[in-house]
Amino acid sequence: MNKRLGIAILILIVTLSAALAACGSGKNENAANGGSPGPSTGGGNGGGTSGSEPSEDAEPFTVSLRHIQIGEAQKFRKAILDDVVKKTEEEVPGLKFELDGVEDQVNRFTKLPAEMAAGNPPKIFDLFGGAGDALKYAKAGRLLDVTPIIEELGIADKFLNLSQFTLDGNVYGLPIGGSTEGFFYNMPLFEKYNIKVPTTLEELEAAAETLKQNGITPFAMGSKGAWVPLMLVNTLIGRYAGPDAIDGFPAGTHAWNSPEVTAAFAKYEEWVKKGYFTKGELGLEYADMLNQFVTGKAGMMFDGSWRSSVFRDPEQAGELTGKVGFFPMPPVPGGKGDQTFVNGNYSNGYGFSADLNERERTAVKAFIKNMYSEEMQLRGLLEDGVLPSMKLSEDALGKVEDPLVKQIMEVMRQAGGAFSHFDSTVPSEVYKESEAQIQKLIAGQATAEQVTEALQKVQQEANAKS
Amino acid sequence: MKHPMRNPWIYTLFIAPTLILYGLFFLWPMVSSSYYAFTDWNGLENYRFVGWSNFARAFGDPDFRRAIVNNLIFIGFSVFVQIPLIVLFALLIASVKRFRGFYKTTVFVPSIVSTSVIGILWGFIYEPEVGPLNRLLALFGAGPIYWLAEPKWALPAVLITNAWQWMGFYIVLVLAAILAIPREIHEAAIVDGASGWQRALNITVPLILPVISVVVMLSIAGGMRVVDIVLVMTKGGPVGATEVMASYMVNEAMGIDPNYGFGTAIALIIFTFALVLTSLYQMTFGRRMQGGEF
Repeated sequence: MNKRLGIAILILIVTLSAALAACGSGKNENAANGGSPGPSTGGGNGGGTSGSEPSEDAEPFTVSLRHIQIGEAQKFRKAILDDVVKKTEEEVPGLKFELDGVEDQVNRFTKLPAEMAAGNPPKIFDLFGGAGDALKYAKAGRLLDVTPIIEELGIADKFLNLSQFTLDGNVYGLPIGGSTEGFFYNMPLFEKYNIKVPTTLEELEAAAETLKQNGITPFAMGSKGAWVPLMLVNTLIGRYAGPDAIDGFPAGTHAWNSPEVTAAFAKYEEWVKKGYFTKGELGLEYADMLNQFVTGKAGMMFDGSWRSSVFRDPEQAGELTGKVGFFPMPPVPGGKGDQTFVNGNYSNGYGFSADLNERERTAVKAFIKNMYSEEMQLRGLLEDGVLPSMKLSEDALGKVEDPLVKQIMEVMRQAGGAFSHFDSTVPSEVYKESEAQIQKLIAGQATAEQVTEALQKVQQEANAKS
Repeated sequence: MKHPMRNPWIYTLFIAPTLILYGLFFLWPMVSSSYYAFTDWNGLENYRFVGWSNFARAFGDPDFRRAIVNNLIFIGFSVFVQIPLIVLFALLIASVKRFRGFYKTTVFVPSIVSTSVIGILWGFIYEPEVGPLNRLLALFGAGPIYWLAEPKWALPAVLITNAWQWMGFYIVLVLAAILAIPREIHEAAIVDGASGWQRALNITVPLILPVISVVVMLSIAGGMRVVDIVLVMTKGGPVGATEVMASYMVNEAMGIDPNYGFGTAIALIIFTFALVLTSLYQMTFGRRMQGGEF
């Protein structure tokens, strides 16, 4: 009688141990892959410059790379990345990049934070600078300090601005380009209605009024993602409260509920009430804003300079190809500080995981060398309209032919200076509140005063904590 | 020991793997993560024990209170609007002779389609300028309604989509119960001269009450934890108009200013609510409807 029981137990044991064995072998395999990095091939290949070693001999290894260059509007950026990836793979024996394309907002606000919390970010990833992103992760020890690498490669002093990635003098990420935010406008529409490029706020509002009278939305907008309207708000703050307000919020020298900052929100509120933005904007995505503008339903669009490449690509811009101009936010009456300042960001780029083995470090170094070169910076500028994040010679800059990019560069050259975006200066909880509040403002559920009061409250709590 | 299956140890042996897995992957994570509900853990930095303040913060936040109300609206909509419709459709399908299989399949299809697909599909339907719904309304002279962009319309729009997705599933469930009713009962009623409606209301519905009761309970539980359709269609917006507890949790725990401690507290609140509501229902209407305690 015990025979059956014995058999039952035996079967159970065999099944369980088989299952466990399967788990175990999986682990062993992993260990074999990651644990024995074959020192003879990987190490000492400083910067991957030699590239003479036959790559067939090297034991293959993969490095994960998260990028945000997905979709039609990003195809030029993706092409540059692909070339860098290819070149780096050729230089580092055995290296294979594992590309993982994720939409920008999803990566920045959902995926990367979760991975940072779990401690398993990709080895190379798209990263934003500033208090809520790079600096927060750097403080938590998740990011690779690239200072020694850029010093060794001799590019440490080539960057125009590393402030949003610098913590205690160490650099934790590298911006891929610079950007400014301003108005793109539809030239044929401006011509048709005899509107000249606004140089004062009055002219801007008159232009908006003219467009509206003719059944055209003055400003394209898609505020389902609240960061889109906040671009315009940020520049309005820079005008009304002065360029130093953006850094003044966390420092405590500027208050959100001051009359000047409130005036910026009030201007936005006024434009919402006058119907200057796309109807139903709270249900529209960032991409919808571009569609509104490209299809001629809207005459102007406040967006970042990175959008410029769309307007010379007939596949994306259609009839509007080459017929788009750019102008900065005009000075506002009663605005504080230098009214010629423009928004300037050096905040989007790449970060690297602190958790790298010797070979992965070599790969990262080669990636930096190839990505942050004069050649790629110039390609970014020429092919993609992305302003360089590194110093380029006048000679190189002179190669720019795209009139829109030239216009944007001219705007930057004429500007008295640049202020950043408050999303990189204020703590995340304040930025989060600003997203909630701007949507309330747009929906008519809060006034400018209520919005700035609420923001100041959160800012004060945050300032008290730090 | 001729009958090994009567030995309790054998049973223990057979259910042990399940129990171990259940404990390891369900009970233990739940208990161990509950601890974080009392901390301000953001996933990166060191955390502090903050007592009940996460719970106080949740109930003190008007956005969360609105999320609770929205959950209750979801439940109310499914119990008082969807379920009568489900029963009605099931009765209709049960009484047709031709194409019954076709109808059954058709109503069931939405529930096997992924929620993301449904969200995008209905996003087109609700599209303000070229969407079919607004075009239809335009025929009657109604101006464009910004379904997913206006706070007052967004919740009804999501409710309808959610109903469309899940009604078919329950219709098939109820239909099976209706078809299981012995023919003799209906035949006897026909002999007694009962009309179609009388039979439906006085014979069919009472006999399928146990199934309806289960459907109600599933609807309550479903309404408490609805989130996917909200995240796909509106992400809780515009301005929190469609925020439900679970989407609030996602937006707080992850996103711009992640706070896993707070998120865990919300998760516990949702769990408690769902538990209390379903058990309340079970102890009151549910038990009565399932018969036995009239």
